[in-house]
Amino acid sequence: MSEDTFMGVPRNTIDWSPILDYNKCNYCMECVKFCPHQVYEVRETEEKKLIVKNPDNCVVFCRACGKTCGVDAITFPDKGETTKKIKATRKGMVGNE
Amino acid sequence: MSKSFAVLPCNGLDKSAGCIAREIALNLIEKSDSEMICPVLYRVADARYTKIAQEKPLLVIDGCQTRCASKLASEKGLKVTAKITVTEEAKNRGFDLGDSLRLGENEVKLAEMVADELLLEKEAEKASVSETVYPETYNYEVYKKDKFIFRVPKEGFLFNENDSWVYISGNKARVGVTDYVQQSLSDIMFFTPPVVGQEVEQFGELGTVESGKAVFEVVSPVSGRITAVNEELSVAPELINQNPYEKGWIAEVELSDLESDKEFLLEFDGYFAILKRKVDDFHV
Repeated sequence: MSEDTFMGVPRNTIDWSPILDYNKCNYCMECVKFCPHQVYEVRETEEKKLIVKNPDNCVVFCRACGKTCGVDAITFPDKGETTKKIKATRKGMVGNE
Repeated sequence: MSKSFAVLPCNGLDKSAGCIAREIALNLIEKSDSEMICPVLYRVADARYTKIAQEKPLLVIDGCQTRCASKLASEKGLKVTAKITVTEEAKNRGFDLGDSLRLGENEVKLAEMVADELLLEKEAEKASVSETVYPETYNYEVYKKDKFIFRVPKEGFLFNENDSWVYISGNKARVGVTDYVQQSLSDIMFFTPPVVGQEVEQFGELGTVESGKAVFEVVSPVSGRITAVNEELSVAPELINQNPYEKGWIAEVELSDLESDKEFLLEFDGYFAILKRKVDDFHV
């Protein structure tokens, strides 16, 4: 159930989703339990037991799953940079119409 | 040093940060009249600690962001007066916590520093009183789902897609969160305010609101300088649950680039449609 746009910009043009530090992650899965948007997927039999499966499901500018992480293994892109890019994309869209 | 607390530390025994939480608590009870609540015993023996928690201001010490101590306080319905997280305190002071469960020199020092700071009487911060008078109440459109009611003010407010609102008055504005946030979090137990005087970018963090369920980062609808925070929320964060648009406002901001910010703000119609979709999709 991904939202297709954020502030009028196609979601798949926005680079915003959690970045996992596999050196820190202890696979407690608190982030998975927390996120209602199916951003993550658990893969019990693989070495990386947790992956970011659906990055475009992630709510732009939400960092809430990161705040459940006891070992600080989740980071996000820079908000300011992301905002700039979204603005640029919007300008480009208007120009193309 | 006359300050004292009822201290509820996380005491996570298998993590360095948890062991430091206990050490901070020990410092506090040695250096002041504070009393410690053992989180393990508290789970099985309420009576012993409930009284302490009522008599003294409650300080919750979480080791890490799993927030076990906060969650325990929330379960027990305790009123939290102050709250720290060891990993954050370490980061802010440039301490690198190792994996060892034994406390080294560094960890002992960190625990002392944090405890001493907690016991310092804070000088009353000068609240910059807002000259702007905001209406006491607004007209709301309501969307209902089961027993949950989501209000959205019909006029005068702008919103972002991250469920924050802004009410503009000249070059100043008041900001807060919408009913979607407070309904999703349920009982809000703690508000961490942003720092007055600091600049915030649009979509930057304007403090956090916290319940037993989660920590929500307030995503600023506008850019500018923070001129005031709602001091009442530090003693009564439940005001956000009661009405996040009125007495539960978060902060006031001196606007720096409203025209550009407006590109990313929604009027009532736009936000109400998004709110309805979110409620239908995700609110369970």
